[in-house]
Formats: sequence, C-alpha cells, structure tokens
Amino acid sequence: MSNRIYNILFHTHTVSGLVISVGLYVIFFAGSFSFFRDEMVGWERNESVVESDFQDIDLNVMMDTLNRRQENYGRDISFSKYYEDRRINVNLSASKDTTAVQEEKKGRRGNFFYMNVDDYRTYDYVSNYSIGEFLYRLHFLAQLNLYGRSGYLIAGIISFFFLFAIATGVLVHWKKIVSNFYLFRPRASLKNLWTDAHTALGIIGLPYQFVYAVTGVFLIIGTTIMSPPVVTFFYGGDTEKMYEDFEYDTPDYPLAMVRQDSDIDLNAFVTKTKAHWPDLKITGVNLYSVGDANMHVEVVGVPEYNTKLLGEGKLLFEAYSGELVSEKNPFAHTSYLEGATGILYRLHFGDFGGAGLKVIYFVLGLISCFVIISGILIWLVARDKKHVAPHKRKFNAWLGWLFLAVCLSMYPATAFTFVGVKLFVVDFDPSRMASIYHFFFYSWLALSLFFTFKRDNYFTNKYTLLLGSVLGFVVPVANGLVSGNWIWNSYSHGYYDIFLIDALWVILSVISLVVGLGLKGKDNSPAPVPARKAPTVNEAAFSNG
Amino acid sequence: MPANKKYLTKSPIQRFAKISAGMIGGYLVTVSLHLALALWINHVDVLMTLRFGGFILWVALLIVAFVAKNGWKTWGIYLGITLLFSAAFYLGKIYHPVF
Repeated sequence: MSNRIYNILFHTHTVSGLVISVGLYVIFFAGSFSFFRDEMVGWERNESVVESDFQDIDLNVMMDTLNRRQENYGRDISFSKYYEDRRINVNLSASKDTTAVQEEKKGRRGNFFYMNVDDYRTYDYVSNYSIGEFLYRLHFLAQLNLYGRSGYLIAGIISFFFLFAIATGVLVHWKKIVSNFYLFRPRASLKNLWTDAHTALGIIGLPYQFVYAVTGVFLIIGTTIMSPPVVTFFYGGDTEKMYEDFEYDTPDYPLAMVRQDSDIDLNAFVTKTKAHWPDLKITGVNLYSVGDANMHVEVVGVPEYNTKLLGEGKLLFEAYSGELVSEKNPFAHTSYLEGATGILYRLHFGDFGGAGLKVIYFVLGLISCFVIISGILIWLVARDKKHVAPHKRKFNAWLGWLFLAVCLSMYPATAFTFVGVKLFVVDFDPSRMASIYHFFFYSWLALSLFFTFKRDNYFTNKYTLLLGSVLGFVVPVANGLVSGNWIWNSYSHGYYDIFLIDALWVILSVISLVVGLGLKGKDNSPAPVPARKAPTVNEAAFSNG
Repeated sequence: MPANKKYLTKSPIQRFAKISAGMIGGYLVTVSLHLALALWINHVDVLMTLRFGGFILWVALLIVAFVAKNGWKTWGIYLGITLLFSAAFYLGKIYHPVF
C-alpha cells in the first residue's frame, strides 16, 4: 500500500471513528445489556419465567377476559410471545364490521396491550415499561425519535460508519495483523498501550463487530434506505406488491356477516399444531374475523433452535370446522429470503445458544466498548504534542474529557437505575416509563457534567468504575430487600433469570472494583498547556494510531 | 501519530466531490446494480441481498472514492456505471419483465 493510500485510509478511520464514538459506545453498552432483556424484565418484576411454552397458556381464559371487556366481533386478534416473559402481547384490530360504528366503544378501535398469562391482568405499553425495554430501545437510540424516526436514522448512520471504520481500520492495520497481534506493551508509553489494546482487541472482536455492523445497519435502516427506489422503479409505486413479495402481508379473511355464538376451543389448535410438529416452538396465535362464520385461526412458530436454526412454520385452520386450510412447513426447504432474514436476526440477537452464548456476546460487546474508548484515547494522546497549537490542544482536551465522561458514566448510571427502580418504582402504572427515564437520564447527565468539568481522565476512569462497582453491589441487596429473593434464594428456588442478573452485577462490580482500585498514576490526562514533560516516546515503535 | 497531512486532500471542493461521490454516487451504483440484477435473476433474492449486502458494497465504494485522486472523475465513473446498470434495468423491464 502506498503511503498516500495508507494515510488517507488512516485519516478517514480516525475521523469516522471519532465522530461516531460516543453514539457507538452507547449502542454497544446498552446493546450488551439488552442480551439479558428478558432476564432483566424477570428480575425487575420479580416474575421468574418458569414455564415459557405457548401450550401452557390458557388462551380460552384470555379470550373470555377479552370478551368481558369489549365486543370482539369482526376483529383480528393476535397473541404473540416475542420475549421470554410472563406477559404476552395482545394486538386487536378495529372491527371489520362497519355497522359497529353506531355502537360506541364497541369494536371501534384497535388496541395493544400486554396480558399476564397467570392472572390475566393487562398492562398498556407505558405501565409495562422496564429497564430491559429501556436499555433495549436505547441501543437503537429510540429515545432520540424526536422528529419522526430521527433516532433510528442516527443509529443507522452510526452503524453504517461503524462498518466503514471497521473496513478502513482493517486495511490500515493489514500488514501488522499477525505481527502485532501478540504485541502488548503495558509498560511503554500510553500511546503504545492504547494502540496495542485497540488493534489487538479490534482484531479479536473483528468477526463479532463486522456481524454487528452489517446486521445492525440492516435491521435499523435496511428497509428505510434501500426500499424507496425499489418501490418506485421496480414495483412501479405499488408498496403492497413489495410487501407480498417479502411476506409482510397479513392474510385478509372478510366477514361473512354471520355471527357465531358458540365458543371455540383455542387451546385445541395449539395442541393440534404441537402434535403436528413436536419440534416447533409456538410463538403466536392469530385470530382473523373473530366470532364470524368465516373466522380463521393461524398458529405460527419456529423450529426449536437445536433442531433447525432458520425458517418459520404456520398452520391455518378454519375456526368452526377445525379444518386445516393451509400449511407452511418450517422443516422443509427454507427460502433465501427466510434464511437470510433469519440468520441476520439470530446473529444480532444472539438468542440461539442459550445463556452461555449470551455471556460470550456480552463480554465481546464490552470489549467493543473498550476498543472505542482506546480509539478516542489514541486520538487524544497522539495530538497532545508541543508542536500542536495551544487552542487546538485545549479543544482536544475538552473533547476528550467530555467523550470519556459521557461514555464511562453510563456504567454507574445503569447501576443506579437498577437500584433506583427496584427500590422506588414499584407500581405498574403509567408513570413507570417516565420514572425510569428520570433515573437513567438525570443521573447520566449529572455524572457526565461532573466528570467533564473535573477535567481529569484518570479521575473519570477510576471513579466511574468505583462508583459503578459500589452501586452494582447494591443491586442484589436492593433486590433482596424488596423482593426477598436474595441471590442464594433465587438460586435455590431455580429462578435462574433473577439469579443471573444479580450474579452479573456482582461479577461486574468485583471486576470494576479490582480494576478501579488498581488504577494508578496520573499520566493519561493531557494538560492543555505544555507544562509537564510528556513521557519519552519511542517513535519507531509506533505500530500505527 | 496522526495521519501525515501531506497526503490528504486539501482543496475543499475536492473533499466535497469525494465525499458526495462516495455517499450519493456509491448509493446510486449499489441500488442500480441490484435493480438491474433483480430483473434477470430471482428478484426477491436480489432485493433481499440489497437490504444488507448493499451496505457492504456502498461502504467499499465510499472507500474507493476517498482513495481516488480526483473526486469529479469518481463522480463521472459512478454516474457512468449507474447509467449502464439503468440501461440494463430498462432493457430488462422490456425484454425480461418480472410482472
């Protein structure tokens, strides 16, 4: 590679990486925790998921509960289970019976809520809100959806430039991938330390990070960015046709306008499907044109991941005769569309290999956070030189203080939110969502401002770790005090999801305590004025960065 | 050590040309390629590939645009390729329509 190309690629890597650094850190940090979304939800509500199969849910009672609440004739209703928790999603469309317009509040509007499968209580979106949901949504910056989908777009742009930074980073590092892989000089200058960490961990995490850049950009803006010209030029403006091709369309079974009064045994359809495909994990039951002679019941599911990774299965029944109308076999041929979509989702969610895989993914996610931080520090240290103009050094130093403060404060802010929500946000009422927002964003803001204006990166690093560690130790204590499920209790009762979250915080706290206390030396905060003598640097030893 | 400035593009006009060629031109090339292919191969497969693989191609084209010496030349080449693919798409619509 010529010097010209090397330096150009190097510069684009630096600029793109620095611009997206804080956003990408937020995405990776919140995203890593999101692997345990379901466990966090179980922990927060003290509702451990013991049984998690659809066939254990009594759909008939759920349907009765719905019928007592409102008129359901002519609606499409779906029960779906996206997550491993005890509340399943219930989606009701407005009634297709247009004569229902006169009778107010009877089947006029669609609705969405969560229903507890044990006591059939329902929760709307805001009162069902949880730390798990919060961190999950924070990881694609949903809270920044201030103008339409602006947050998603920002997250998408960040993942696009993440892909760009990965590619340019690998190209820049190309010749030294092997030779520098084993190089780590913790006793050399800070510049070398950050560079070695950045490149070695970057290479170790490369497959993981590449997978996340591609699947992330696909999931968040793949359709938004790529579909407009496809709709216009390929489908001639016919969006419906595209949805049909991509199997987004929901079947439409019009009303026969003949009411049926007899109740249907919904559980029987689930049992039938399970008997048809014993290895199918049922994920949803969809009812079309409820209570009408033309009512249909659709049971959907995916193969258990230990039998087959990809593909989706569906059985469609006529509701009143119980006749099988159509079938889509998930165990037969998997189309490219299904396979590609499925693998992109599975790789991103990391949900196909049990808790062990999630832990590995979580660690790799935190390693990616470290790669980002070390990247910022390389940028900072490399410009902290005497020949750099003082106003530039001042600007760089402030940028470093700000970026590190914002990134590193996320850890104590997250621990604080876990503790605060467990102790003080006990009701599942509509104020829940706002309370979780307040705990997280205000503590994050306060810590970020404090550490920025403290103007000391060493201090920021040490005390965010120590503060996070102390608060992290309080997490299982708070849980024990509030719920009685102390860490040993939840283990012995077999509440493994609750245990996992407590154990995760204990392990994180121990590690950050050891690291935080071990941090010594006050030499990584660049002074804006060249007062101190910079550590002697062996220029020839620079690998890059 | 920061990148050596003597190798970087100094002219703001050239910088603008390179960035815009990489971002907009790269997008046009990516989308037109997949649209043209969609008419000749299984269209659902090709359009699905565009949704994730398209970004990889786009990033590659962005890198090429940065490395190339003249941003306007890159613009010209990317527009030329887009026209070529558009022609293939147009001919495909006439001679090999999907619908």
